[in-house]
Formats: sequence, C-alpha cells, structure tokens
Amino acid sequence: MEEKISRIQKEYLEKIKQVLTLNDLDEIFLELFGKKGQITLLPKQFPRLIKAELKIVTPYFNKVKAELELTIRKRREEVREESYRKLSEEKFDLTKPLIIKKRSGHLHPLTQFEKKIADIFSKLGFQQYDAPQIDTDYMTFQVLNIPENSPARDLQDTLYIDNKNAGFQKEKLVLRSHTSNSEIRVMKQFKPPLRLMNIGRCFRYENLDARHEHTFDQFEIVYIDKGVNMGNLQFLSEYFLKEVFGTEIRARLRTKYYPQVEPGAGIDGLCIFCKGNGQWCKVCGGVGWLELGGAGMIHPVALKNGGIDPNEYSGLAWGISPERMVMIIEGIEDIRLFRSGDLKFLEKF
Amino acid sequence: MKVSIGWLKQLVDLKVSMEQLVTLIPMRTIGLKETTKDFIELDMKGYNRADLLSMRGVARDIAAITDSKTNFSDKNPKDYTWVGKNLPEVKIQIENKELCPVYCVAKIEGLKVGKSPNDVVKKLADSGIRSIDNITDITNLLMMEYGQTIHSFDATKVADETMIIKLAKKGEQFTTLDGKNRVLTDEDLLIADPKKILSLSGIMGGKDSEITESTNTILLEVAIFDPVSIRKTSQRFNLYSEASKRIQHGLTKTNLLQTLDTAIRMYQQLGGKLTAISLVGDLTDVLRKVKLTRKKLNSLVGIDFTAEQVEEYLKKLGFTLASQGETLCAWEVTVPYWRLDINIEEDLIEEVARMYGYEKIPPQKLRGKLPPKIDQRLFNLIYDLKSALVKVGLTEVQTYSFYSTDVLNNLDWDKQSLVMVANPISTETEYLREDLWPNLLEVAAKNIKHGFKDVAIFEVGKVYLPQKSDLPKEPYRLSIALCNGGENPSLELYQIFQKALKHLAGEKMQLHLRGGGKGLYENKYFHPKRFAFLDHKDQPIGGVAEVHQRFSDKFGIEKRVAVLEIELT
Repeated sequence: MEEKISRIQKEYLEKIKQVLTLNDLDEIFLELFGKKGQITLLPKQFPRLIKAELKIVTPYFNKVKAELELTIRKRREEVREESYRKLSEEKFDLTKPLIIKKRSGHLHPLTQFEKKIADIFSKLGFQQYDAPQIDTDYMTFQVLNIPENSPARDLQDTLYIDNKNAGFQKEKLVLRSHTSNSEIRVMKQFKPPLRLMNIGRCFRYENLDARHEHTFDQFEIVYIDKGVNMGNLQFLSEYFLKEVFGTEIRARLRTKYYPQVEPGAGIDGLCIFCKGNGQWCKVCGGVGWLELGGAGMIHPVALKNGGIDPNEYSGLAWGISPERMVMIIEGIEDIRLFRSGDLKFLEKF
Repeated sequence: MKVSIGWLKQLVDLKVSMEQLVTLIPMRTIGLKETTKDFIELDMKGYNRADLLSMRGVARDIAAITDSKTNFSDKNPKDYTWVGKNLPEVKIQIENKELCPVYCVAKIEGLKVGKSPNDVVKKLADSGIRSIDNITDITNLLMMEYGQTIHSFDATKVADETMIIKLAKKGEQFTTLDGKNRVLTDEDLLIADPKKILSLSGIMGGKDSEITESTNTILLEVAIFDPVSIRKTSQRFNLYSEASKRIQHGLTKTNLLQTLDTAIRMYQQLGGKLTAISLVGDLTDVLRKVKLTRKKLNSLVGIDFTAEQVEEYLKKLGFTLASQGETLCAWEVTVPYWRLDINIEEDLIEEVARMYGYEKIPPQKLRGKLPPKIDQRLFNLIYDLKSALVKVGLTEVQTYSFYSTDVLNNLDWDKQSLVMVANPISTETEYLREDLWPNLLEVAAKNIKHGFKDVAIFEVGKVYLPQKSDLPKEPYRLSIALCNGGENPSLELYQIFQKALKHLAGEKMQLHLRGGGKGLYENKYFHPKRFAFLDHKDQPIGGVAEVHQRFSDKFGIEKRVAVLEIELT
C-alpha cells in the first residue's frame, strides 16, 4: 500500500510540474480527487490492512493527499501568473469598428417610480434638492427638534461615522436616517415660499430580512409659505395617490408622532387591491387601508433653526417610502431584491 | 405597551364596541401593533406619550376619544396611608440629587410570600408580564396601572436597612437579576446599602436583594430618576426593562404618590404592616400653562373651529381652559400633570385636530406664488443619462454604499482611505465605497454564477471621499461593467458608452480619450495595457479599463470584464 501511495505521489508531482494550462490541471485534479479519482478510491482498500500497517499508511496517505492538493493549487497560481504576464502583449484599441450586441436594457424599478413622482410634484412647482448622505448629528437630528438622548431617537436606529477616517473631527457624523436633513439646508439657503423635494438614499441600523433594509430611499417634499395648513397635507396626499394609482384611490390622514413635525400625521391610502372592502385582502390584511407615509406641519423649533419665523410662515413636510410603494404596486415580497443586482429581478422592469 | 382588554374595561365605561375601538385608536391616538382577544398592543416605538405607558393614561385617552367616562379619580387622595401615623423614617442617603430628585421608601413588615390571585395573574399576563409571587406582582401591576416604576427589596438583605443613591465607581462590578455580570462606569446610577450594590437604578435589581420564599419584610422603593442618565446606562448595557422605558419617557410626582399609597394598601390587604416611611424630594407637580389662540389653530389645521369645539375637545382630555376674552379668542390652557408631551401651542393644536379627526380635514389646494427656479441640471443629467444607457442595452443596478467583505478581500482594498462606520451592523456595512466599479464587479460575478453569459450593467450613485476639514465629499458617479464573453470587452463597452452619449439630447458630453500614461487608472486592478483616462474639457473625470484577470479570477469570473467610471457634475 505504501508503495502504491508513493507511486501516485511521484507520478503526479511530476505531471503537475509539466502542466501548462488550467484545463490540463483540472483534468489532473479529477484523476486524483474526482469521484473515481485515485486518491478518492484508495482509502476504500484500507479496511483490508492489518492494524500495524494501518497505523503507518493512514498518516502517510494524508500527508501525500495534502501535498498533492497544495501542489495543484500552487501550480494553478503559477499558470495563471504565467497567463497574466502575457497580458502585456495584448493590444488596446477602443476605436476599432464593432457591431454592438443587441441587448434590452432596463431602468431600475426605483428609478422609474422616483422619476414618476418627481414629475408629479414638479407639476405643482416642487423642485429637486440634494443633501449629503453623511451629515452631522446636529443637522440630521438636533436642529429638527430631535435632541440627543431623547426617546424619539429610538425611531431611527442610526449608523454613525467613525471620525478617525472621515478626517472631520469637529462633530459627530451620521449616515442620515431620513431625508429630513435637507429641510434645514433648504430653509437656510432659500427664502420662503419654498417648494422642494428630496429623493435619496438613507440608512438605518437594521438587520436584513424580507421586510427590513439598512439602505433605502426616501421621498420627501417641503412646502413653506404663509398659511400652509393640514388641508394642504390632505390635498397633497390625495393628489399623489390619484396621480399614481388613479382616481378612485382616496387618502386618509391619521395622528402620528414624528418629533420634527407638530401636528404629525400618518398617510394611509385606500388599499389599491381591494379598494377598501376586501375582508380577505392579503395586501392590506383586511384593514382596507395601507400605511403609505408620514407627514406633518414643520415643528416651530425647526423653522426657527432654519431662520424662518413660525409666526409668519408655516410649513409642511410630506414623505413616502419609494420601496414600499413599488413593493405594493409590483407585488414584490422581498425588499432586499432592490439592491441585490439580481438581473433576473431587474429584467422584469 | 400591551393594554389588557379586561383591565381596560374595569377602568373605562366604554361606550363603543371593541371593534369600533380598535379602528378608532390608530386614527385618534396611536398606531396598533397587534390586537388579540386579551390585549391590544400600542406601537410605542419612539413615541413621546409617557402617559400611554400606563393603563390609566390609556384609559383616559380612550375615554376622551370615545366620549366615555373613566372609573377612577385623577386627584390625589387626602388620606394617604402614612399621614398622621408618626412613623419612623427609613435611612436614605442621596449623593446625587440631580439624578434622583425624588426618592421614597416604605418599610412593610409581616408579609408572607405566596401566589397572586387569578385576576392579578391574568392582568399581568395580558400585559406581557409573568407572575412571580404576590409581593413582586403588586409592584409590576402598579407599574402597569400608573406608569410609575416601583421596586421591592428584601429588607433583611439590605445592610443596616440603609439605602444609598450614588454613582458607581469606574470598573465596579454588579450582577443584575438576569444573571449577567456588568462592569460599571462612573456615569451609572446605583442603589446601594453601606456594604454592597443593590440595584442599577431604575433599570434592574440585583440577585442579592431579590424577594424569596422567606421574605417577610420589604423596603418598597418609588423614585424619579433622571431620564437621560437612565437612558445612557440602558444603552451602554443594551438593557431595556419595562422600568427603564418608563423613566426615559418621564415620571410624575402625582402618579408616584398614588402608586406608593395604593401599594401600601395592597400590601396591607396581604397582612402587611407599614412600619417606616421616608419621602425625599419635592413631591408636587408644577402644572404647565400653554397659550392657545383660535387664529393659530385655524390657520394651521385649515378649519374654522368654534370656541365651543376647542373647549369641549380639550376638556375631555383633561385640560383646563381659562378664556382670555371672546374677542381675543385665546385661552390659557393648563396641562394635566400626566401629559408631559404637551409644551407648546402646536402640541395643543394637534390635540384639537385629532379629537376632531384628521380624516375629516378637507383638502386645500396649494396657494401662493411659485418659488423661483433653482438649478436642476444634475438631476436631469442623471435621469437622461440613465435612460440613454438603457436605450443602448444596459441594465441599471443599485448596490449598497458599502464595500462587502468579498470586495475588500478579493481586491485587497486599502481600507485606510475609506470612510468607516463606527457601529457597523456587520462587517458587510463597515466601509463606505470610494468607487462604484468594485460593487459592479461583484454583481457581475453573482449573475454569471447564476448562469448569465452576458452581463451589461451600470449604476449611478454616490461615493464617499474623506476630506480633512469638511464633511466627506459625495460626488455622483456613473460606472458601467461589461462582460460580453469576448477577449476584449472594453472595446464594446466604450462604444456602447459613446452611443449612449449621442442619445443625450441637449447635454453635449464630449469625452476625450487619453490612453496610457501614469496616474489615476494605472493601478494593480487593471489590465497592464487596457486602460485609458476619460477627459471632459481637458480635465480627467474618470477612465475605462479591463479589470486585471488576477482580480476577476478572485471573484470567480473566467471571462474578461471591462469597467468604466466617471464623475458626474
């Protein structure tokens, strides 16, 4: 038995050395480690050996097995490096005439939906505004009436930035957990009347599952003028739902707490599937209404911090989750698909 | 907060059915997490309503929104159990008054540990609390009823029957009731006796002073602790108890006294005898007064409320109103002690609006002038560019803003230059991307593994670049990746890109190639010959390259992959 092992060892170490292509190396690997490979089959003969013999053969066999595996792996690297060296001989020409392959491209479903709602609100004079995704704790929370150590912070489990690498030492930095960090920036940059919208990526400390994402988009509009009121919230909610889903979908506001607004409101839409009368509706769970977003009258503290006099002006903030909307409309059950890069998913849109 | 339905019905003469009630609560008060035949669970996450963490608070709000009456008095009784008894004091030393403004201890003797009656066990079970023994159950029951935290110590296990409230010493250790050993900091507030630590204030007690079968004398603690201090300690130990939750939201002195009084009465019914008591701190709640004008109310809600409506709604909720004259149409509103969340006029406006019903507020079109135009070029460019790329056959992907461990390991990326998350959820969310193409390479690999022979994808998104004296820079980038099965994909990629640029109406993007040379895109990740800069108006804005096979191999991609990345401005 020892001899047999030693023979395989010698023969294959030599063979491996001679190999020049990855394909040949794969073949050798199969000859040894495949289903009917020599190394695979050998231990089946061990039960025939006497104990004393076995004591010597087993460790020897294991050693040879490991050695062969390692040698193949090393050789594979060498063959690869060999081919990498040949890359220098290749040519680079970007202008050579070429027929571009016919492919059907697809816009990401979130891009499609966000474009749609941006168009809907631009008809009312809302314009887009960008805000940083990494921002100070102050701009993201404190300035909006969300002080440190307030229980309201539990609403948003936040990811913080390690200032060491960011190089910016002065303040605590966060990955913004909502688009509302744009609010204070627009108030400071422009004078009312204001009609702005922010669409963008936000982050939260969430463990991933079909319903939870640590990375998601928000769509938020800010409207500040004289006499802005909760009737406008109702109007905007209805306007949005009708434009997106058609005329029979009604909107409903309900009381809800968000620290950056007062009064605060939750936005419900009549279930787009059962139209509010499906006891057995799976989408709304028989409630007839779907929770779609959050809104409210901008908190006077936030207005003041933005340099706007709350006695002269009032404002509203209104927001929805594009992912949630697209999931409802398209019947998508796993939120993680949006950022999976899975082409089978993306090619459906 | 789990609200026991049976218990609620004892506290309120409900004028509506449970079915009507569960539809009304989310409209008027707070969202519901779950409804069963035994309890309804309020969605308290992040909420500001301290009163809704008590059965009485919930009962008050439900009575108000359903036009029902509660069966209990909001006022304190005059004949507290301890009044006029001339009882000795329990020894208390408070070392840190700001963190513990009120501290009361009652000593009760002659108790016998046993089981609680069934109705108590049921109330607790509905509330999500396990019955332990008759002594401990009373503390939990009253916490649920009043929202005031309350703790019982076995008096024989408190050295010298002396309670000391103090900050821990750094590095001191303490084993909490859940059996975990905690290493404390000098910010953690403790209850101790002269010899040892008894409890992590307001969060969790310790094993040593727990009620056991042999307990017959207890020291009953009701106190008010500083919410911020308790929150910090809770967070540090990731230890959130029913008690700490209530302290964080805020406690009131009126509730505290009612809780203590009721507790003593209940222990007396068990045969206990009150033998000593200490009440330390200011025990009266200061009632806040907030001004409300009809003008502000009506302008913010968009409805013409009558003075009668305003008064009716607020009175039902326990507010008292002093009119400041018909012509002014203004009130000085006194906030009931249990509504710690009402501080400004807007808070009152919300109360009126929710009592009226948000759903009845009629829509109003936006009025007023349109604001002046602001620069929308970047947003338009991004969308037009995406559309053009799709037209020439590319599919848009979105990837995380992080580098996965696969990307970091396979590319052996230099982490020193990356923006880093201080509290990552896992190693997959620790480092923020500074280029897009590595994520596209990873996506290409995944799809090839799933059987795709041809991958032509792009992403537009932000990258995050540290800056010395400002927030990280967040430019938008476009990246394209192509794996077409051929030996030179950069050729097709570049021509696809050129074709897409031709589709871009209006925005003329003339890009020039600058092949070879040293700099930005000559790095180990790319083919030694196949890389080039892309210039816009003589400025390099990115490049195009074939990914070096050494790295595509690491992702398990056998075919060649080309990538392009440019900055969008």
